Amino acid sequence: MARPVLALVALAVSVAGPPGHAGTPADVVTNSVGMRMVWVAPGSFVMGSPPGEPLRQEEETPHRVTLTRAFRIAATEVTQRQWLAVMPHGRSPQPGADRPVASVSWKEAQEFCLELSRKEGATYRLPTEAEWEYACRASAAAVTDLAAVAWYSENSDGTAHPVALKAPNAWGLFDMLGNVAEWTMDVYAPYPRDDAKDPTGPPAGPTRVVRGGSWRSFPPALRCAARVGTPESYQLAHVGLRVVQVVE
Amino acid sequence: MQKPNDTTRREFLTTAAAIGAPLLVSPRTAFGSQASSRVTLGVLGCGGRGTWIAELFQKHGGYEIRAAADYFQDRVDNLGAKLQVPPERRHTGLDGYKKVLAGDVDAVAIESPPYFHPIQAREAVEAGKHVYLAKPVAVDVPGCRTVEESGRKAAEKQKAFLVDFQTRTDPLYREAVKRAQYGDIGRIVCGEATYFCGPTFDEQIKWVTEKPNDPEVRLRAWGLDRALSGDVITEQNIHALDVASWVLDAAPLRAVGTGGRRARSVGTCWDQWAVIFTFPKDVVVSFASKQLGQGWDDICCRIYGTEGTLDTHYFGEVSIRGKLPYRGGKMTALYQDGAVANIAAFHDSIARGDFSNPTVAPSVRSNLTTILGRTAALRGAPATWDEMIAANETLTADLSGLRS
Repeated sequence: MARPVLALVALAVSVAGPPGHAGTPADVVTNSVGMRMVWVAPGSFVMGSPPGEPLRQEEETPHRVTLTRAFRIAATEVTQRQWLAVMPHGRSPQPGADRPVASVSWKEAQEFCLELSRKEGATYRLPTEAEWEYACRASAAAVTDLAAVAWYSENSDGTAHPVALKAPNAWGLFDMLGNVAEWTMDVYAPYPRDDAKDPTGPPAGPTRVVRGGSWRSFPPALRCAARVGTPESYQLAHVGLRVVQVVE
Repeated sequence: MQKPNDTTRREFLTTAAAIGAPLLVSPRTAFGSQASSRVTLGVLGCGGRGTWIAELFQKHGGYEIRAAADYFQDRVDNLGAKLQVPPERRHTGLDGYKKVLAGDVDAVAIESPPYFHPIQAREAVEAGKHVYLAKPVAVDVPGCRTVEESGRKAAEKQKAFLVDFQTRTDPLYREAVKRAQYGDIGRIVCGEATYFCGPTFDEQIKWVTEKPNDPEVRLRAWGLDRALSGDVITEQNIHALDVASWVLDAAPLRAVGTGGRRARSVGTCWDQWAVIFTFPKDVVVSFASKQLGQGWDDICCRIYGTEGTLDTHYFGEVSIRGKLPYRGGKMTALYQDGAVANIAAFHDSIARGDFSNPTVAPSVRSNLTTILGRTAALRGAPATWDEMIAANETLTADLSGLRS
């Protein structure tokens, strides 16, 4: 009852430090399988969406999240070429070396991250849900021209497309919205109301959070706050992944 | 009657986000000078649902039922005795509610016959009260506009205004509707919304049959009176149509319909309805209802897409079947659980100072959807949304012979 009160403004995101600060171009490094890894500075933002925002769902309870550690996030979804450079098999229903990998379960996505970490001698993993949303928002206002940044139901022709054909967000990240939806690390659960530091979701639960919407999604799903819980074992033709690299 | 503003008429409440700029203020402001977490409540309307929901408010623990009003002394006394509202805080007559509003309650729960909702809600907001409003919000277009305006004024005055729909609080309904909106059933093509039940107002039918010309009986039997209730399509069937407009996140463009009073001989309401609504993108929703007979009860909204079907039942399963199925689950006690959830949400929004009042716009929209269906069916000819809004037709109840 006496907790501090959120001040929600039109711009739902603010960061500590210069607005839009995700690093500099020099901070983009490319690993051995060709992933361009973008450096993201620590910061704080309002995760979720304020009441009254168009298309919002009730589950998107706004709460302030602070990420205390920098990380690197891949500029694109994991492509089929990148996947096959690490894993022995792929089963993407829509073949294409530069198309995102899809039809991978959460556990397979985890295995990919482990293998990639071994190969690179660095720690790769799925983004936490908070890291994903922070990167999606990229300190910018809500997307106004969806077709310019995303492949979704109205322009995808029912298929995923090669990555990075649409415009990137303010931090240089492509296809955060649309193309394939992306697994995150976190177990799906209602958000806490309280402010959070480096949240990782609850320890266990029946589903993992999938973010970003896909080539088959409608505009309500193509929002940085939109979230869906999906069982770990599902291999869905519209769900792939994007990796983050832990910055030591 | 005020003429609708031409520039805003077409946009009038066709999107659920029409109202609700986020406004979060200090909890101290929200509770006024009392700085207490207990919300004092007045109950306007002490009939069956009013008494039932007042008990749920009391069980919540965050409310103190401090005053009550009903036209009828026996009704207000019944609630007063159950919930320890002292006799001097029980008010009667058509204007009894004004005494509650003039008193020191923080909030009111409006559970009177729907005809009175807009004026009571408006005066409550003017008096600086938080408002918890039963569905339907109004019986006619001017009433809907009044409620829409009151919701907006409440937000400006940093007051909560919540419309009590049960389905919109339910996690399974929410998840299933979200998935349909996100694309899991493919492109939405058509749907059906049905509300089939037996006689709902048997007792009221008995009273009116015994005393057909008694004005107080007419009020007590409000569920049989078109102007007092809005008729069955608005008063009751709104639950099914609300889900349809929720999933589609749109208001219908036009409707054709029919119906009648088939199984009862008293009152002015129909007991059977059938309406075909056309929503944007040529999505057709067929609606049917009955409030008669035996053997089949179901409140259903089913939406068909190119890749799946969303199937919701107020007293049954909520699920998605198709390419991306969602198992959902079974409703257990939505009628009560939804009210309990809304009572908690109302308290929470007051406590946190969140006066974005997100339930108002979608509730007004689905209320107007029922009025469009009613208009088309009663007319026996097509009716359009724009024409209905422009006509701004008033339903006038016969209150003659009643005391103020």
